Amino acid sequence: MVKRVKYAFYLGCLIPARELSYEVSVRKVMPELGIELVDMKGANCCAPFSIQSVDHASWMALAARNLCLAEEMGLDIMTLCNDCYESLLMVNTILKKNPELREQVNQILAEVGKEFKGKVDVKNLVDVLYGDVGVSKIKSAIREPISGLRVGTQPGCHLTKPKRIHFELLRGFNELDALVQATGVESVPYERKEMCCGGPLRDINDDLARQVSRQKLLALKDAEVQAIVTVCPFCFLQLDLGQLEVKRHFNEEYNLPVIHFIELLRLGMGMKLEDWEVKAHRIPITDILKDRL
Amino acid sequence: MVEKAVLVIGGGISGIQASLDLASRGYKIYLVEKSPSIGGRMAQLDKTFPTMDCSMCILAPKMIDCSHHPNVQLLTYSEVKGIKGEPGNFVVTVLRNPRFVDETKCTGCGICADHCPVEVPNEFDEKFGMRKAIYMPFPQAVPRAVTVDKANCIECGLCQKMCQAGAVDLKQQPQEVELNVGAIIVSIGFDLFDPSQIPTYGYGRYKNVVTALELERLLCASGPTGGHLIRPSDGRIPRKIAFIQCVGSRDRRFGTTYCSSICCKYSVKDAVLIREHEPNTTVSIFYIDLRAFGKGFQEFVNRAKSEYGVRFIRSSPGEIMEDPKTKDLKIWYEDTVAGRIENMTYDLVVLCPALVPRTDARNLAKVLGADVDDYGFFRASNILTNPVDTTVPGIFACGYCLGPKTGDIPDSIMQGSATAARVAEVLERV
Amino acid sequence: MSELDLGFMGEVANTPRGKGILLCIQCGRCSSGCPVARLTSEHNPRRLMEMIILGCKKEILPTQLPWYCLSCFTCLDRCPQGGDVGEVMFALRNLAVRHGNMPAGVAAQAKALYETTRVINPVRSALDKRESLGLSQISTEGLEEVQKILKRTGMEKIIRSK
Repeated sequence: MVKRVKYAFYLGCLIPARELSYEVSVRKVMPELGIELVDMKGANCCAPFSIQSVDHASWMALAARNLCLAEEMGLDIMTLCNDCYESLLMVNTILKKNPELREQVNQILAEVGKEFKGKVDVKNLVDVLYGDVGVSKIKSAIREPISGLRVGTQPGCHLTKPKRIHFELLRGFNELDALVQATGVESVPYERKEMCCGGPLRDINDDLARQVSRQKLLALKDAEVQAIVTVCPFCFLQLDLGQLEVKRHFNEEYNLPVIHFIELLRLGMGMKLEDWEVKAHRIPITDILKDRL
Repeated sequence: MVEKAVLVIGGGISGIQASLDLASRGYKIYLVEKSPSIGGRMAQLDKTFPTMDCSMCILAPKMIDCSHHPNVQLLTYSEVKGIKGEPGNFVVTVLRNPRFVDETKCTGCGICADHCPVEVPNEFDEKFGMRKAIYMPFPQAVPRAVTVDKANCIECGLCQKMCQAGAVDLKQQPQEVELNVGAIIVSIGFDLFDPSQIPTYGYGRYKNVVTALELERLLCASGPTGGHLIRPSDGRIPRKIAFIQCVGSRDRRFGTTYCSSICCKYSVKDAVLIREHEPNTTVSIFYIDLRAFGKGFQEFVNRAKSEYGVRFIRSSPGEIMEDPKTKDLKIWYEDTVAGRIENMTYDLVVLCPALVPRTDARNLAKVLGADVDDYGFFRASNILTNPVDTTVPGIFACGYCLGPKTGDIPDSIMQGSATAARVAEVLERV
Repeated sequence: MSELDLGFMGEVANTPRGKGILLCIQCGRCSSGCPVARLTSEHNPRRLMEMIILGCKKEILPTQLPWYCLSCFTCLDRCPQGGDVGEVMFALRNLAVRHGNMPAGVAAQAKALYETTRVINPVRSALDKRESLGLSQISTEGLEEVQKILKRTGMEKIIRSK
């Protein structure tokens, strides 16, 4: 994968709908680190797992349409959401490798005047921060390290699995942990880091989703961390708003505020969060980040 | 003129057997071994199935035979660097790495090691025990001479000073020798799959997750714990032990898609040994298929169940979790026979890794001009009719370097004798 | 026991993402690590594969069984044979949908996709906030193309049938 300084910014559906603060933080931080993000006009949903469950060809074609848009822009894609990432990455990888499938998908895309050529790569925010920007540049961008904070990172399932697709790329818990440490925050190892947040079952089987989230929260509580650091908006949703739901349902307290890595980075770089952004965290972050906000 | 001499590369049990068979027929044998002593894997084992004999007690007499036999010349700490020629007349270049000790003078008294200030992990004990920079690889080593590990030696010269026989020579140089032989036998054996390639098993991070070979060293009376089975983390006797089969074997993720053929056998053997040692310790074996073929093995498994109470659980767990305080290991698994997801905490987990070609096998094959298969094992010229011939006429192979045929000890000995017969045939015919 | 469909395994194997079913050796590594299987005995990836192999089409397709999976890919990472349960799940779900079985939540997302190009849409207050921050508007610019695609793949029909 090639280092770039300019990316087609793939937002996905969830962030504009429910996590505007994530988008705002990314737009504030990335230019400071030398990365230019160009909005993708007319992009459609990536076709996450729910859609993939309905129809295979639709998944391929919908994801491919986004890849075509990026190809037309002449830019690699950067996603924020892990589900978007996995969907676009898988389709990009499969279509690049399989000429027969590529032909089939292009026949569908021809209906809308598009053709997948396999010219771009798909990256995630962690890829770009770790691979393109680099830990040392991030460290030097930190004006005041955030000290005294112990967190458990939640890389998310679709950043790290399945390894046979991800192993060629920058992947692993180590990258996110290194980035977190660069801000001065301590990333605490804990046993169930690889475990799912439960997000994918949200609205499909809420009861099960809650049970899975609870296991994750219990594992993090056992690790005695003060907060959870996420990169995927789904993980954030499930562990933050979801924490309230799980709390209520199981009558248990976890006291684990959730914060996106980019927000930590933003704070470390000396920027403050606005009131509405602080309030976007359902489990309050005011205690752990006191005067930093 | 046919050279009535044979080069055997690899001094494990199958190479030793081949050497002795041929030596007793009057052929001259050059037994080249990369490590400081012959003996191979069998020297590392505690007891062997099916006779449950002490492994070294069976092996050592054969090792001594090799060292005393007038027709056998040992070239230990040496490697094959090149060959020329054809069956009946090969010229082989062997590099004798300097052990910095004169083998003919060293008495094996060990005073040098006693005084050596450098301690490093002992490879023979699978890094469980320590050895010095000048060391005897194991008590029954043949030749009975120490070796200096120059990479870790600090050249303090104490060993040289203390040696009564004047055997230490820190200025020793590598030496190339040329051997004229009529045929070559490859018997370089195997390495273990590195389980740290499967991070979810915690090998290398969790102290109480060990490989089966490490377990053998713990069980062995001449091993780092004197044969006391203890947990690496705290030295306590483990009361609940789990074996996990097929770590790397039958696994497409790593290309080791084959069954290593001996792990089901040795794990049941080890389980019975442990139950005999420690009747208060329970043993569970997690398996996918229990491959118990031939040689009274199914009967042994039945006894393991009925007489020794070994638990067999048909399940392949995907992960091990360590309790950071007790260092106990929790395994979640589905008992596929009962169809239930369960979890259990163990004191000690033994991984049974795949057996893979040695890291230098491909290199050696290249030097010899022999083919290897996709896995890196030496390819037989015809797997049905000529199973111990390599793809180079006059070069034969035996033991696990040929692949997991049925690579247990009796089979390795059998193959050693088979190559000896093939060699004799070739040399007497040409 | 209701009748078995001996062609079911082949049917799954020939559905996109389903070919892994042919390689399953029932080792149980998938179910040993599945986070959902630990929480409910309803879901057991190994058993599901077994049922496919045996031909229990009727016990699977009209039921909840295909819909417990998180798509966390833990099983995929660990399967030694390339049986890839996590992928077979998608094939199973595609077949289930074709048999008229789709959870309400999934149907709602599919419908939203067809109507707006997105599976989740911002509420009015979120759109207002966007505007006040000077961010680009959320449009349905690609809608016509998305609908053409979904018509061509047949997914439109599936969405309409719900």
